Amino acid sequence: MNEKRVAQRVSEELLEVPPSSAISLQMSVDHYLDVLRGVLDLFASKKEADVIYVTSTISFEAIKRVMEALDIDTSRVYFVDCISHIMMGASSGHMDDHTTLVESPTMLENVMLKVEYLIRLSEAKEKVVVIDSINSLAIHNNNWILSEFLHILVSGLRVRDVYTIILSVEEHSTPEINNMVSLVCDQGIRTGPKED
Amino acid sequence: MASRSGERSRCATGIEGFDTVLYGGIPRSNTVLLTGSCGTGKTSLALEFLIHGAAKGENSLFVSVTEDAEKMLANIIPYNFLSDDLVKSGKLVFVDLPVMYERLGMTKAELTMEEIDLLVTAIASLARELNTKRLVVDPITSVCYKLKTAEKIRDFILKLSKALADIGCTSILVSEVAAQSSAYSMFGVEEAISDGIVLMANMERRGDLLRTLQVIKMRGTMHSRAKYVLDLTPEGVLLVPLLKGGSTRS
Repeated sequence: MNEKRVAQRVSEELLEVPPSSAISLQMSVDHYLDVLRGVLDLFASKKEADVIYVTSTISFEAIKRVMEALDIDTSRVYFVDCISHIMMGASSGHMDDHTTLVESPTMLENVMLKVEYLIRLSEAKEKVVVIDSINSLAIHNNNWILSEFLHILVSGLRVRDVYTIILSVEEHSTPEINNMVSLVCDQGIRTGPKED
Repeated sequence: MASRSGERSRCATGIEGFDTVLYGGIPRSNTVLLTGSCGTGKTSLALEFLIHGAAKGENSLFVSVTEDAEKMLANIIPYNFLSDDLVKSGKLVFVDLPVMYERLGMTKAELTMEEIDLLVTAIASLARELNTKRLVVDPITSVCYKLKTAEKIRDFILKLSKALADIGCTSILVSEVAAQSSAYSMFGVEEAISDGIVLMANMERRGDLLRTLQVIKMRGTMHSRAKYVLDLTPEGVLLVPLLKGGSTRS
C-alpha cells in the first residue's frame, strides 16, 4: 500500500466514526507519517477540529517540524508534550501558545489535566485528542496505571463528545497493550507492514 | 434552608471538579478549613470560590492576613474569568486584616479575650454591612499566632463561624501546616471546630510531585473521600482522580 493510499484510507475510515468515539489506530512503524497525515488531514483541515496532540514519543518541536515538512497546517494543533522536559530539552524560548509541557510521562494525571485545560480553551465545534503513542507511555508506566489512565481519560472525553485516537506501533506492541487499548476503544484501524 | 429532600442548601463553589467531590457544593453557612502546606494552591482555590460567587451575584469578601491584597493578586495565577468589574462594583471586596488591627488599636503581639470579641464583631459587622455571602480569611493561622492559647483559638473560630453563619455566609478559613505534618492545622484546634476540612498537599510519587486535594470532613453533606490531583490554570482549578494503579501494584 503506498503512502497516499494509507493516509487516504485512514481519513476515510475515521470520517465514518461519530463524535465521542475512541479509535485505536495501530500502524506499522513505516506508516507513522502517513497515518499522521491521514488523521490531521481529516480533523484539522477538513473538519476544522482542534487537535490536542499528546506526544510522549518525540518532542513537540520535532513532530511540528515533521508536520510542516508534510505540508500539514498546524494552526489547529495543540501539543501536550510529555517528553521534552524529561529529556532536559525543554526551553521556554521555543514554547508557544500551542504547547503545554508535562514534566514526565509518568505524570499521567497531569496529562489529563492539560488535555482538560485545552478542551476548555477550545472554541472549535469538534475536538480530537490524539495519544502518540501508547507504546511510549508504556515504557514509563506499568500496565495497571496506564489502563486506569486510558479508562478515565476516554470516559471523560466521551462525555464531552470529543474523539480519542490512540496510536500504537505494531512492532512495539504487546498483547497486554493491545488488550488495554481494545478495552476502551469502539473501533480499531490497522495499517499493515509497508509493501515493497 | 432545607431543600425538599431534607438536604441542606448548597453554596456551589463554581469549581467544577470540586463541586462534584462535594456532591454539589459546600452546605450553605458552613465554615470550612482549607488546609495544606505552602505551594499547594490554597489561596488560588479560595479566591476562585469568591470570584465565582461574585460573578453570580453573591457578595464576596477576601480578608487578607499576611500580605496585602494587591501583592496577593499579583502573585496568583491570572484567572481568565476575574473581571475588574467585580471589584469595581463591590461584588468582590478585599480587606487587609493588619489595617483592621490598626483601626481597632490592636497593636500588641497577643490579643486578649476582649479584643477577640472586638475582632469577631468587626469582621462580622463588615460582612453584614456588605451583605457578604462568601468569605475567605487567608490565612487563619496568622490570626491564631496572635491568640496563642488553644482556648482563645477555639473561642475565636467558634464565635466567628457563628456570626458568619447567622448572616448566611459560607466561609473558608485558609490554614497552613508544615509540609510533613500529619495534622490538619497548626494548633490542632481549628480542625475540630470547623464544619469541614479540605486538605491540599504535595504528594510525591516515584519522584514526581503532584498537587492533591482531599475532602476529609464536611458536615451536612455526603462527599467523596478520594484523593484528587489538581492543576492551577487560567481557567481555574482543575481536578482529576489520583490514579491508583502505580501505588498498589508493581
